[in-house]
Amino acid sequence: MRALIVDDEPLARERLCALLGEVEGIEVVGEAATGFDALEAAVRLRPELVLLDIRMPVMDGLEAARHLEALEAPPAVIFCTAYEEHALAAFEANAVDYLVKPIRIERLRAAIGKAQRLSGATVRKIENAVEPGRRRSHLCARVRGSLVLVAVSDIDYLLAEDKYVVVHHAKGEVLIEEPLTALEDEFTGRFVRIHRNCLVALAKLAGLERTPDGRVFARIAGVAAPLEVSRRNLPALRKLVRSL
Amino acid sequence: MVDATPRRWLPQFCSLPTLFAVMVVAELVALVLVLAPAQPERPLLPRLGVATVYVQWLALLNAVVLCSMRQPLERMSARAGFAFAWLLSVAVTALAAAVVWQIDQGLGLGLSAPFGQGRRFVLGNAAIAALISAALLRYLFVLEQWRERVRAASKAQVDALQARIRPHFLFNSMNTIASLIRTRPAEAERTVEDLADLFRAALGSGDAPGTLGEELDLMDHYLRIEKLRLGDRLSIALDVADLPRDLPLPRLLLQPLVENAIYHGIQPLADGGTVRIAGRNLPGAIEITIRNPQPTDARGATSRNGVALANIRARIEYHFGTRGELHVEPDGGEFAVTVRLPDASTDR
Repeated sequence: MRALIVDDEPLARERLCALLGEVEGIEVVGEAATGFDALEAAVRLRPELVLLDIRMPVMDGLEAARHLEALEAPPAVIFCTAYEEHALAAFEANAVDYLVKPIRIERLRAAIGKAQRLSGATVRKIENAVEPGRRRSHLCARVRGSLVLVAVSDIDYLLAEDKYVVVHHAKGEVLIEEPLTALEDEFTGRFVRIHRNCLVALAKLAGLERTPDGRVFARIAGVAAPLEVSRRNLPALRKLVRSL
Repeated sequence: MVDATPRRWLPQFCSLPTLFAVMVVAELVALVLVLAPAQPERPLLPRLGVATVYVQWLALLNAVVLCSMRQPLERMSARAGFAFAWLLSVAVTALAAAVVWQIDQGLGLGLSAPFGQGRRFVLGNAAIAALISAALLRYLFVLEQWRERVRAASKAQVDALQARIRPHFLFNSMNTIASLIRTRPAEAERTVEDLADLFRAALGSGDAPGTLGEELDLMDHYLRIEKLRLGDRLSIALDVADLPRDLPLPRLLLQPLVENAIYHGIQPLADGGTVRIAGRNLPGAIEITIRNPQPTDARGATSRNGVALANIRARIEYHFGTRGELHVEPDGGEFAVTVRLPDASTDR
């Protein structure tokens, strides 16, 4: 079984690596220090098992687990944590395996024996139990078998097209398969709806302009083409722009 | 003084102990009224009975009114609330006295005041109520303040005990040690010693006095453990050589601030950063500033930070009163906490 170790502390990785060396049939194929790096490594190394620390900078373990699900062959996940009362209760409630640090080799063996792939829904349930109303730091798109991560702070606007949402961000655009309303709910206060099919990052909203034929467009910093504002969303948007 | 207790200055008039105090005072008033040489034609006991019924009724009426007005009163400043509560009790008494006098006249019992002296009776009642409620309110106010202070002091002590160790830190350190034992036993040994020192201080007797030197050593031990754990991500700039090491200081007053700096400032950054600790001597005081980078996306972290800082601030206030202070300045991507403590030895 190919295993990936993810922890922000070098010594914790070192110890886990040593422990896994003593477990038969496990080959450590790589290490990563953040959830973000873990996803890159997972795409590159295709591990079957990921040992994920929960608290990490840039992207924490819970969010990384949620994005891992987007992989073509999602690996099994075991969470490792020093002390996370709420998370442990949430794991137990959802029958997801976890290890507490310092990790015991017997527990590690047992966990590997029953490690499983996590569904995004399960991870979401855990996330909600640990910290209701938490938001992802990145959106994750699958492009030809690899993952593209877009930092939420880099996003200019989100445009719904058929069953996809096109994420327009500082470095281009990607498709994700998530309903726009779910994104709107998750990132309330960060994005604002200007049209039935469009959410704009509040921080990138540069102003409104009216064309001679009476239509209103939203200007977005760094984006050439303005986006049309629907009649229905105009009053709320006006109010918001004025309060900025 | 007013600012010190922005909330909860008014006692719970509906609570039994306060109600009991009000009734005792009312009974004393009734006794005084009866004993005062005014109407000698009737025997003492019936007069006491009548006065008791009347005064207790008035007192309870006032208590109920004040109890029901608690919320709007609490919203005012202590001074305005106090004045308003006082006026309220005078008005309630005057109104009640007027009603009683009217009823008394109607029934012709002659228990309150003779015909034609109703005005005097009401004003007299109001004046007595004004004096007594002023005294009683003041007493209850001071009592409540005293209780609040005792609560705050004991809370500061409990917080001090609880805030000392983040469980996370303990278990992560244990994990670090477990890892070091295999590869670097000597460092593992030293880390166990450092951890033991930290816990000795943390589990020690409450706010036992220590010295600044001891605190700086503890800070050092703590930083050594974190340095092992975070590796290159943590760098430390320490400039505290000028501080007087023998200055008395409650234990673990500074270490939690450093812990905070690492927890909120370094750990969330993938590339880490530098924690700067600088101390300097001022006339009659010392000043220590702890700076850390402030991650931009600190979702929700600041509120927890606030709890820890409020805790240290409460302890500084508890030990040094107004002579010690803690202030915070988030400026330009940096977060700085400055602690100023009195130093009697240079106070000349």
